Amino acid sequence: MYNGLSLDQAPPISVVLRFFLSVPFFGMLLSLLMILYPAQVLIPSHPYSLAAVHLMVLGILTTSMIGALFQMQSVLGGRPIPSAQGNALIIHTLLAVGTLALAGAFFAEITALYVVASVLLGASILHAANLVLPLLFGGVSHDTLRGMRLALIALSFTAVLGIVMATSYASGAFSPSHGAIRASHYSLGLIGWIGALIIAVAFQVIEMFYVAPPYSPWCKRNAFRLIAAALTLKIVWLFSPLPYGWVFDGVLAALLLGFAVTTLQRLRGRKRRVSDVSIWFWSAGTALLAIAIAAHTATLAGAADVLEAVALIAFLLFALSVILGMMGKIVPFLVWFHLSSAGYLDAPIMSNIIPQKRAKLLFALFLLTAAALLAGVFIPTLFAAGGVFAGAMFGVLLYNLAYALKLYRHTLAHGTRFTQE
Amino acid sequence: MILEFMRDDHRACDHLYAEAETALMAKETKKGAEAFKQFSKATLHHFDMEEKELFLAFEKRTGMMGGPTQMMRYEHQQLRSLLESMRLALEESRINDFFGIGESMMIMLQQHNMKEEQMLYPMTDRALGGDAELMVQTLREMKR
Repeated sequence: MYNGLSLDQAPPISVVLRFFLSVPFFGMLLSLLMILYPAQVLIPSHPYSLAAVHLMVLGILTTSMIGALFQMQSVLGGRPIPSAQGNALIIHTLLAVGTLALAGAFFAEITALYVVASVLLGASILHAANLVLPLLFGGVSHDTLRGMRLALIALSFTAVLGIVMATSYASGAFSPSHGAIRASHYSLGLIGWIGALIIAVAFQVIEMFYVAPPYSPWCKRNAFRLIAAALTLKIVWLFSPLPYGWVFDGVLAALLLGFAVTTLQRLRGRKRRVSDVSIWFWSAGTALLAIAIAAHTATLAGAADVLEAVALIAFLLFALSVILGMMGKIVPFLVWFHLSSAGYLDAPIMSNIIPQKRAKLLFALFLLTAAALLAGVFIPTLFAAGGVFAGAMFGVLLYNLAYALKLYRHTLAHGTRFTQE
Repeated sequence: MILEFMRDDHRACDHLYAEAETALMAKETKKGAEAFKQFSKATLHHFDMEEKELFLAFEKRTGMMGGPTQMMRYEHQQLRSLLESMRLALEESRINDFFGIGESMMIMLQQHNMKEEQMLYPMTDRALGGDAELMVQTLREMKR
């Protein structure tokens, strides 16, 4: 039962940072696309729009989430990812180059790049899932672990469906099921992968780090079962095709709204009242999730299709908000932790690694980006302005990460180290 | 049984820390120092319960001597050192340092607690079986 169990502390810092450091570069590329081609990015299924969406979901969200998984697995999974350094290098390289290839394929409509992207992204994602999933089964189980399982299974299916779609784009031959495949691909990716992993993390982080009231045990126990069931039935309905498939969208919307409302309640009821930018990011994120659900539900009820763009942008911003908030905690903690564990007496404290002032600047730029992009759905000039704010936001993120790395290296080279004679 | 008892004790410690932070933010230094003292005392007592009773029983039942419990002991040492740094910062009225070190301490403590609550305590419950209730009684009776 306890085979391979280790409560070891953390993988080497380079494992997580390599993923995080590439996020601002993808962010700036995405910003450039939004600044230069706002109108095209806003047209659903336009190649530039697909390039932008994939830069966001793969280059920014999935890259940071897989990086965080390497850290989380050693804390929550009980069994750390084996050969973390080598596997992180493989997964990260394939993911980064694959994302660039896919965005390039959409942007320049180069057929061969679809094939390259399929191979690289498929290899990266399926290798990551194959590496982590077996570690999540067979030992002690808990709610967050169940969420991580669902997220990784959903990510694997998203990748497989993505490969099927990429071959259609490459060959120009679209099957009659293309619509069902596309809807399954984005439902699994957005709700099953991104949504489930954030919920799984929230179940742990909100209560413990902010000393907030706990989520109801019933919700924690059943949330992922319900999401998995609703997603599975939605996909069956899509492929059948059967009427009333929107019911499952309604169920998923209700579940996510429940999560947003209860999370906001918990954050408001937290005992730790210290001003903390990560709480602002969580609060803004859950508010954006509520906007996404409201817009999506309105389109289910027959409102204008333009609200679907609002729903998608708000949902992606929700995920980005949570990720930026968590990154602002994880990076300084890891720098401090690795240095002090190695015996450096002058390891910088967290608030000196990313000072509050720069954390607040990042949040302010995030809010400006979110407001401009959402308003930009109706006024394309504002969408381009949102691209400018996003570019500035990712610039600050890059500075924060690079500064943290510089401090880490400086202390390694010049710090005073405690050694036992 | 053990999971619930120890998890509740974790939460009780967290509340004491939140009280200390709130008081210090409101510049109520004396009240903050007292709450921190209570938090530190409760946390150290929690470590003692584990090191003097729980981990020994787990190791005896499972035969796992140098595994997860050893790592938990190592983390206790790191946390003890952080608590001492925070105590000194408070004593020397370096409130910003107190909060700075506290941020790292809290993340480390919560990661540590997660490992115990998600893995170690459920495993200990399984390993002790019917004796878990007796163990909780022993822990409850340990002097603070």
